[in-house]
Amino acid sequence: MKMFEGALSERQPMHPRTTITRACNLLVALAACCLLPALAGAQNWRIAQPDYAWSFPRDHWARSNYKTEWWYFTGHLDAADGRRFGYQFTFFRVGLSPEKPDLDSAWATSELIMGHAAISDLAQKQHYFAEVLYRTTPLLGGFATYPDTLIAWSRGPAGTPEHWTLSWNGSGFDFAMADQGQGIAFALHTVPQKPLIFQGPNGYSRKGAGASAASHYYSFTRLRTTGVLKVGGKTAAVSGDSWMDKEFGTNQLGEHQVGWDWFSLQLADGREIMLYILRDTAGRVDYGRATLVAADGTTRFLKRESLALRTTKKWTSPQTKATYPAGWELNVDGETFLLTAEMADQENRSALGRPLFYWEGAVRVSDGKGRQLGKGYVELTGYGTGNRPGI
Amino acid sequence: MTRALTFENVSKTYALASGGSKYALRSVSFGVSPGRKVAIVGRSGSGKSTLLHLAAGIDGPSSGTVRVLERDFNTLSEGERTRMRRDEIGLIFQFFHLLPLLSVRDNVRLPAMIAGDRGSAARSRAEELLERVGLADRLDDAVQQLSGGEMQRVAICRALLRRPRLLLADEPTGNLDDENGRRVMELLLALTADEGATLIYVTHSRDFASQADAVWEIHSGELQI
Amino acid sequence: MIGYFCKALGAHLRRGRSLLLLTVLGVALGVASVLSIQIINLNALAAFEGSMQAVSGDADLSVLGRMPALPESLYVDVLAEPGVQSAWPLVRVRAVLDGHEDFFLDIVGVDFFAPVRVPWQGDPVDFSQPLGQSGWAAFTPQLAAKMGWRIGDAVTVSKGSQRLPLRVGALVDFQRLTPLASPKLVLMDIAQAQHLLGRKGWVQQIDVVVAEGADVDLVRQRLQARLGAAVQVLTPAQRTRQTAGLLAAFRLNLTALSLISLFVGLFLIYTSTQASLVRRRAEFGMLRSLGATRGQLFALIVGEVVLLGALGVLAGLPLGYWAAQANVERVSATLTNLYLLDEISTLKLPPWLFGLAALSGIGGALAGALIPALDMSRRNARALLSDFTLHEKIGSLAPQLGALGTTVLILTGGWYTWLGRTWQPAGFVLAIAILSALPLLTPLAIRTLTGWIAVRGFGLGYSLKSLGARLQNSALAVASLAIAVSMLLGITLMVGSFRQTLQVWIRTTVQADIYIAPLAWRGQGDEAFLAPDLVRALRLFPGVQAMDRLRGFVAYADEQRVALAGVDIGLPGGSSRFALLAGTPQRVYREVRENGAVLIGETLARRRNLWPGDSLDLYTPAGRQSFAIAGVYYDYSPQGGAVIMDLQTLTAHWGEAGLNSVALYLEPDRDAEVVVDALRAAFADAAIEIRSNRRLRQEAFAIFDQTFAITRLLQGISLLIAVCGIALMLLVQAREQVSELALYRAVGATRTQLFGFFIGKGMGMGLLGLLLGAGGGILLALILVFVINRAYFGWTIQLYWPWQAIVQQVLIILLGAVAASLYPALKASKTPAMELRREDV
Repeated sequence: MKMFEGALSERQPMHPRTTITRACNLLVALAACCLLPALAGAQNWRIAQPDYAWSFPRDHWARSNYKTEWWYFTGHLDAADGRRFGYQFTFFRVGLSPEKPDLDSAWATSELIMGHAAISDLAQKQHYFAEVLYRTTPLLGGFATYPDTLIAWSRGPAGTPEHWTLSWNGSGFDFAMADQGQGIAFALHTVPQKPLIFQGPNGYSRKGAGASAASHYYSFTRLRTTGVLKVGGKTAAVSGDSWMDKEFGTNQLGEHQVGWDWFSLQLADGREIMLYILRDTAGRVDYGRATLVAADGTTRFLKRESLALRTTKKWTSPQTKATYPAGWELNVDGETFLLTAEMADQENRSALGRPLFYWEGAVRVSDGKGRQLGKGYVELTGYGTGNRPGI
Repeated sequence: MTRALTFENVSKTYALASGGSKYALRSVSFGVSPGRKVAIVGRSGSGKSTLLHLAAGIDGPSSGTVRVLERDFNTLSEGERTRMRRDEIGLIFQFFHLLPLLSVRDNVRLPAMIAGDRGSAARSRAEELLERVGLADRLDDAVQQLSGGEMQRVAICRALLRRPRLLLADEPTGNLDDENGRRVMELLLALTADEGATLIYVTHSRDFASQADAVWEIHSGELQI
Repeated sequence: MIGYFCKALGAHLRRGRSLLLLTVLGVALGVASVLSIQIINLNALAAFEGSMQAVSGDADLSVLGRMPALPESLYVDVLAEPGVQSAWPLVRVRAVLDGHEDFFLDIVGVDFFAPVRVPWQGDPVDFSQPLGQSGWAAFTPQLAAKMGWRIGDAVTVSKGSQRLPLRVGALVDFQRLTPLASPKLVLMDIAQAQHLLGRKGWVQQIDVVVAEGADVDLVRQRLQARLGAAVQVLTPAQRTRQTAGLLAAFRLNLTALSLISLFVGLFLIYTSTQASLVRRRAEFGMLRSLGATRGQLFALIVGEVVLLGALGVLAGLPLGYWAAQANVERVSATLTNLYLLDEISTLKLPPWLFGLAALSGIGGALAGALIPALDMSRRNARALLSDFTLHEKIGSLAPQLGALGTTVLILTGGWYTWLGRTWQPAGFVLAIAILSALPLLTPLAIRTLTGWIAVRGFGLGYSLKSLGARLQNSALAVASLAIAVSMLLGITLMVGSFRQTLQVWIRTTVQADIYIAPLAWRGQGDEAFLAPDLVRALRLFPGVQAMDRLRGFVAYADEQRVALAGVDIGLPGGSSRFALLAGTPQRVYREVRENGAVLIGETLARRRNLWPGDSLDLYTPAGRQSFAIAGVYYDYSPQGGAVIMDLQTLTAHWGEAGLNSVALYLEPDRDAEVVVDALRAAFADAAIEIRSNRRLRQEAFAIFDQTFAITRLLQGISLLIAVCGIALMLLVQAREQVSELALYRAVGATRTQLFGFFIGKGMGMGLLGLLLGAGGGILLALILVFVINRAYFGWTIQLYWPWQAIVQQVLIILLGAVAASLYPALKASKTPAMELRREDV
């Protein structure tokens, strides 16, 4: 679960709590101040409901009635020359107001588009992070509507002529990013190996006890991925497996939740596991859920009682001084998995505005005897004392 | 009978830096009838010049009365005294005091200019006087070009221009050699006589003093007639 | 010797208090005028830099248009350029605060979601508001405090003919970023700004941060190539240089004037030094005979002068600051009106400026004292003690000095004729030559003039004669007055001629009955438009027979800024609106109307040597375009170039936008004032200024006069210094001429007569100064009008004699001279007849 923040609605930007959401952080950072208050039309945003009537493929496109939405891709890619990569590609839709202001200007908008992309060059142990943030205007970026094949697009980062795009190819997604400043780019084509699954009953994914503490959430847990990837100025053909999440909702997170640990694991035996825990201000696990996807695509939703997660290793970022877990022992419904970060530094550090950082990286899944059972991606947010607005 | 100049108990004192005072003149009294020529002799600092300054109304007495042509200076305003000086008194100085910016003729004419008399009479009177002292050919010269004796002759003409009834001369020959001094003295006496004026002059020279009708001596501020 | 210096100085100063006062005053005024002008000059540029830093502080490059606005699509091109780290667009316009005439707000529309740095103050800003709340704007705390605004208050501004309701949404303290930031900066969301201003799709500027490690100049060149010639990509240093270039003539003018004040002040110092030296001649002789060396004597004199100079500096610094502050608004208004620059709102005072002023004061004092001091210390004891007076020296030197002055004039004249014509600042060389020849010619002139005077009585003639006899003193006072008078007269003649020329020009060109423009249009700049509905309503207003429309903005002809205007050239009677210098009216107007040709102003024609038949390249949104020149017209705009074309041609090339002003021609027998009143009543809500023909003319002259206000102030200072010189000279003479005065008293001159004698001397100096100054002033006026003005502005100015002003100034100068002589005359009149001394007269 890559969670965007309900706290967008909270009027407590200065509080460390709000750091849990990257969007909030980023916006806070950009604006150097507080965010859109609950009053800013929050009552007009739609809240996630258990009986949501899904409609595909239409629901792959933006659901602008909800305040927050994202398309999240992570995966492992192999190049023909044997190099291995982890990657992340995300578009966020950040709602500013339910209605577009009635202004005679292309800059009038009700939302922002934010893109984060990362490449972990596992052989070189090099992690790259690129980002964009624009208000949606015909000039800079925006979200399309079905039946257009395009789902979302934005200008590249400054200094990059290429656009970042996400589109529907009929069965899966095509997406591309580039950052000339860092010399990275990829353009990937995905085809589902397994059908779409809901996270939570009917895709209704609870994040806490509150009425609005939920989102609509579905995933493609195994996407066959091919394309090209450029790192260090060298372009290579790549192929591998990706995981896709799409989530949308309004004000999902509780005030006391400071961050989360999120895991997506693709096991060699054809199963997948999605798991998240939300941590509270004291660092305790406040809420947790998991989904077990069988090889045939059937799902089982697990409550917290069936999950156990233990940190086996830690890593401290030399840049941000944040200390993250770097190895885990995970017990899901009686099965034990050992998770190890493929490389230590897979921290995404945003340069747009004030410091905002989180760890998003490729991990290896193995059993107690060191045999590899699969691979996965982990997201860790809300770590580090500096990871809050500096003002 | 009217007198040209009268001093009655005239004293003049100067304050000293030490706090006391010093007498320049002490209870001087005299009278001079019109047409008389009086020479005043005495040593330096005896009070000769002070006496002339008082007589000219340039300075005022500390006590006593100075009368010129029977007019009491004490009762006259400063302006009236100045006009008396302009119209009735002629002054001649040891150092001539001619103005370099004016020609010989204009130096003589100066009292008329000051009196606002722009008529040609003053001009011809100046020329006539200069002719009488032998400077007819120097009318338009600059005064700097004159010799000392010539300068004093010009100064005498200036003093006589407005036909003053009283002429006061302060060592008129003091800055001249003997020869020039004698000529100047002769001219002064002759012209005074011609004009019928009264002349009082200060001199160091016994010789020149003897040409007067009377010789008075001043000694430490006291006049001995 | 030091002990003696202190004792002697003390005694000397006590004896000549008024002398001392005047010397110090002279230095103080000179220093003050230099300092105040430098402060203003510096801050004119600093104001621009301050705003630039506040708005574009982080940017390495700014993309600016060679036209009023840039299409916002260029922003995308900027973003796509490799080497660009970040970039953001800015909408920048100037609006007028309602109810405050000429109170301009600098509105900056930004994209708050771009990586811009905003120094918010107080509570955090809720970002739904800048976009969502209508009229949301962030003001500086300085302005809010001044106006008594609180967050949430409504503020109305006008832009063009529209009134815009703004709301104080937040406070933003730019002065935290840069102390010189204008308090009048207002921040809005870019969408709101475009919406409110009706300029969808347009921005004024794009700021660029270049990526670390990238070559800024390379990126600049690539951006320039990518964006095309219609924009310029500039570094902050280049922007400052451009503005400095724009202001160069203006600043040079002021600096030259302030230096003249200093020059006149120098004379005063020279004179007073001379006077004090003459007075102390015997004292110096005695010192020399007692064994003081020349060096010691020189040091004694120079030491005293430096001390006086230092006192003058001490008094001059606060005076200069005060003068700058008192005039900054005036200059600021000129800058806003003429150059559309930022107003000066805070005075920056770098310490070196005070150093410079101090140096000019003390250095000036030293320069003034050097020659007399050298002269005095070179003499031997006997010469000093002897009767020889310095008076004669200048008298005997008069012919040589006069010859030198004549040589200076001839050489400079020759130089100009053969070599200097093409050099832009040549006019200033000529002016300096005249101002330095004038004092050299003064002694001879006085001697000759007073030599002609036959002395009849003890009146003015006598006083004049006496001046001639005291050349050493009087020549200096007269010379400094003559310089001040030349300046005064020269500038009066120039300004008067200019004004008269303008009057004639306006009479022929301003012919419509009523003119309508947005409030404070000149200050608002190119983007102050009349709303289209309003224009339609005006055209249909009862009594209106025809309407002339104008849209104008700053455009670029190569690197030169020109005022481009589009008008309805085909309007009946329109042909007389431009007084043509070159071209035949019929043909010219046909070319302009039918073939898209242009008329260019004289300034531009002369500067670029362009005449009918040539063509002019202008930057349009589509790039460089060539326009045929059909004619050249007389033009007096300050921007250094003006171009007129048909409104249709303008729209075809630069696209649709609003009109900046319209002129109405009324039906015959309509009373303009009545229609004006009716219009005012009908359009009470619009932020427009409705002027009758007469009002417009009046306002044109008000702006004209405002432009020259600071000039007049400097003239005044110089004159004041010169009048001080007269007082000083007379005081010196009253002291030196004791014996002469005593003689007058002895031969019967009354006190009143002596008083009159001195007043006469003062008048005499005034007259001589006027006479000499008149010569210099006329020459100076010719240089200003025909050389300097041509070189820097290129206007044709007909020479007129503003008699009324001249007579008025002559009276003021004479009165000043008389006033200056009152105190010395009083002193002189008190001279006792007993003061006859051996050594004088």
